[in-house]
Amino acid sequence: MTENAVQEVERMVVTRVFDAPREVVWKAWTDPRYVMQWWGPKGFTAPVCRMDFRVGGKSLCCMKAPDGQEFWNGIEYHEIVPHEKIVSSMYFADAQGNKVEPEHYGIEHEAIEGTYDVTLFEDLGNGQTRLTQIGNEPMQSAKESGQLEGCNQILDKLAAVIAGLVEAK
Amino acid sequence: MIERLSHGPASVRGLTEPFALSQQMISKHIACLVRARIVTKTKRGRESVCTLRPEAIKKVSDWATSYRRFWEESFDKLDVVVNEMKMAEANNDRKRGSRSGTDGRHPSL
Repeated sequence: MTENAVQEVERMVVTRVFDAPREVVWKAWTDPRYVMQWWGPKGFTAPVCRMDFRVGGKSLCCMKAPDGQEFWNGIEYHEIVPHEKIVSSMYFADAQGNKVEPEHYGIEHEAIEGTYDVTLFEDLGNGQTRLTQIGNEPMQSAKESGQLEGCNQILDKLAAVIAGLVEAK
Repeated sequence: MIERLSHGPASVRGLTEPFALSQQMISKHIACLVRARIVTKTKRGRESVCTLRPEAIKKVSDWATSYRRFWEESFDKLDVVVNEMKMAEANNDRKRGSRSGTDGRHPSL
């Protein structure tokens, strides 16, 4: 086990603590009505989200960039433990849900063969939930494709500062 | 800042004003954008003028869809949705709670 762990490529992990019970976060994650409200980066909208949330089922979500470009993603579900864990594969798709290479959208995405996206929902006990998204992309690749990583952090901090200023007004 | 520069070139001072941040912070931010070759900086007299490189925009859209970026920013929005859901649920509970309370006080109803 330990030897395997050492061999494994470090994967992209994104975590966030939400000030809401686990059931609420789960619902927001698995009900298309809510997914449409948050799917995609800042400034993007999600005009289409069709979900067949069950093991073996697939979802198809569209996110629309501020410049109007549409990105379609498919998600296939491999394992679902209610309120705790989702094992899935996310891929780029066309509007019909057919899998396409990320290059189709001009995106570099190096996936690790045979690994999945894992989403974990942890009840922190005080009405808060920690969400962990483990990607099938190696950490190193994500750093390179997002060559602005260092800058991103500055941007994020700056954004937080600005948000604070706006709120203070 | 990119939003501002998309309307045309601007001086460093012009970029600093809307943010209420120190010029030093802004300069650091600009240096970051210059290093990423999203922005070019040229001297015009005593002032530095920043211009957005249009060809870099596509690169920015790639960056916006990078894995971490995608999830971090989706999580920002999810946070808002989750809070709204929590509030809606609390309101429902209160309505339900007051109704059952009324029923309890007026069993004949």
